[in-house]
Amino acid sequence: MQQTREDNNMASETVSLEVQRENYFIKASKENWISVVSFILFLVAWECTCYFELVGPYQLVPPSEVVTVLFDKFTNPNPDGAILHAHAIASLSLALMGFLIAIVIGVPLGLLMGWYPQVNMLARPLFDAIRPIPPIAWIPIAILWLGIGMTAKAFIIFLAAFVPCVINSYTGIRLTNPVLTRVAEIYGASNFETFCKIGIPSAVPMIFTGMKLSLNAAWTTLVAAELLAASEGLGFMIQQGRRLARPDVIIVGMLVIGFLGAFMSWLLTRIEARFASSRRLA
Amino acid sequence: MKRFFTRNSTWLAPASSICAFVLLWQIVSLNVSAEFLPSPLAVWNEFIRLMNNPIGGTSLMEHVGYSLQRVLIAFALAILFGLPLGLLMGWNRICEKIVSPIFEVLRPIPPIAWIPIAILWLGVAEGSKVFICFVGAFVIMILNSYTGMRYVDPLLIDAAKSFGASRSQQFFNVAVPACMPSIFAGVQNSLSMAWMCVLAAEMVGAREGVGYIIIQGMDLNKSTMILVGMILIGIIGSLLAAALRWVEKLLCPWRRELV
Repeated sequence: MQQTREDNNMASETVSLEVQRENYFIKASKENWISVVSFILFLVAWECTCYFELVGPYQLVPPSEVVTVLFDKFTNPNPDGAILHAHAIASLSLALMGFLIAIVIGVPLGLLMGWYPQVNMLARPLFDAIRPIPPIAWIPIAILWLGIGMTAKAFIIFLAAFVPCVINSYTGIRLTNPVLTRVAEIYGASNFETFCKIGIPSAVPMIFTGMKLSLNAAWTTLVAAELLAASEGLGFMIQQGRRLARPDVIIVGMLVIGFLGAFMSWLLTRIEARFASSRRLA
Repeated sequence: MKRFFTRNSTWLAPASSICAFVLLWQIVSLNVSAEFLPSPLAVWNEFIRLMNNPIGGTSLMEHVGYSLQRVLIAFALAILFGLPLGLLMGWNRICEKIVSPIFEVLRPIPPIAWIPIAILWLGVAEGSKVFICFVGAFVIMILNSYTGMRYVDPLLIDAAKSFGASRSQQFFNVAVPACMPSIFAGVQNSLSMAWMCVLAAEMVGAREGVGYIIIQGMDLNKSTMILVGMILIGIIGSLLAAALRWVEKLLCPWRRELV
């Protein structure tokens, strides 16, 4: 499980870094103007590139126009057939559906695999076989099996979100402090009781890390699935923008995809903070 | 017998895992129609057939070669630009302040969402595919080298300082080796990301590459061809990861605790 450990270490590092950076941000607020200036310069450079026609209007549009199109897109279904929030809701509901199913199946499976060697032996071959194949590679066969509909896309997103969920819950419960389990044993707890009262709580931080990774994977895969086969959704919107050579629509779509992805991870971090008390056990 | 198992446990576990999986696959495929899920043997036969018959004018190994070439170019570029940039961002506060606002806006956009605009900018030729893989690998590379640099124990830097190390000595002789593990985690992840991105890019628009094989299989309604492609993708992905692990063992042998 070397790769797994690395992934997890990295993920948890990123998380704790965010905390550290917050403090750092407050301390170094004197230098924040540099960030503001740099961002403004970036926008100005972008605007100028378009203004002086260094690139064609079919390749890039200035940021001012992106903003206009963004607001226009809330009411205007052209050129891709639906308004922005219809696309966004279609994408979000699909991603969340695949993600939730993956959590409901993946987390218990990972926990059981980590605790009971018998379950591990049963589920391991299947899991090891699907792990190295990127979820995107499942798209053609999923379409062949399930047709071009909701189900195929949900299946692919499920696969994408499933793998990190299982790996992280598995690793989380494997890292349970053996002292704790031995204490429970001495006090006469059954194996199942120890699993519920010691194993699961101590795996919670890792489970959340896995959920964050899954959410990321789900969102990425959703975009890929919608690029290839869809009639609605944000991925479809940017693909349509390409077919019609409308960079404004593409850029708006990309920004909305980025924003929604970031927003969902933020939400998950907040939910995790709610459960933070159980971190003490780990 | 027991000794045989313990001695060979490193390769025995994955091997038995694969055997169990193939067995399961065979059992399932016997109970559903061959178009839905072909048997492992049918997939193997298709693999042999594809080895001898080119797909879309390109042989199977050339398809793999195309994909690998794109991934490796993008990966090399991502290391070349991402690694120094990430390290600098972690080392120098001014540099961090300059880059981070732009980076924070672009970071949450999945690399796959860059496909349409990349095609608009660079056409459907090699350029757009390399660009997409580059975006995917680059972001991860920056994030990891930056994180690693921020996580360097300040004690080490202070110690170097008190021994009179110059600023550049502190950077190259202390900070960079100290964040090697994080850099390598980033290298690993960015390579697997690039591998996923090349697939996506090839599936959206290409005439060659492994992504093209599976899309072609879908268009021809041949599940055997798709499965050959998928297995090939999985195997190559694992081989790439294994190769990197080997390089890592050579370059930072002190990192044993994670194995």
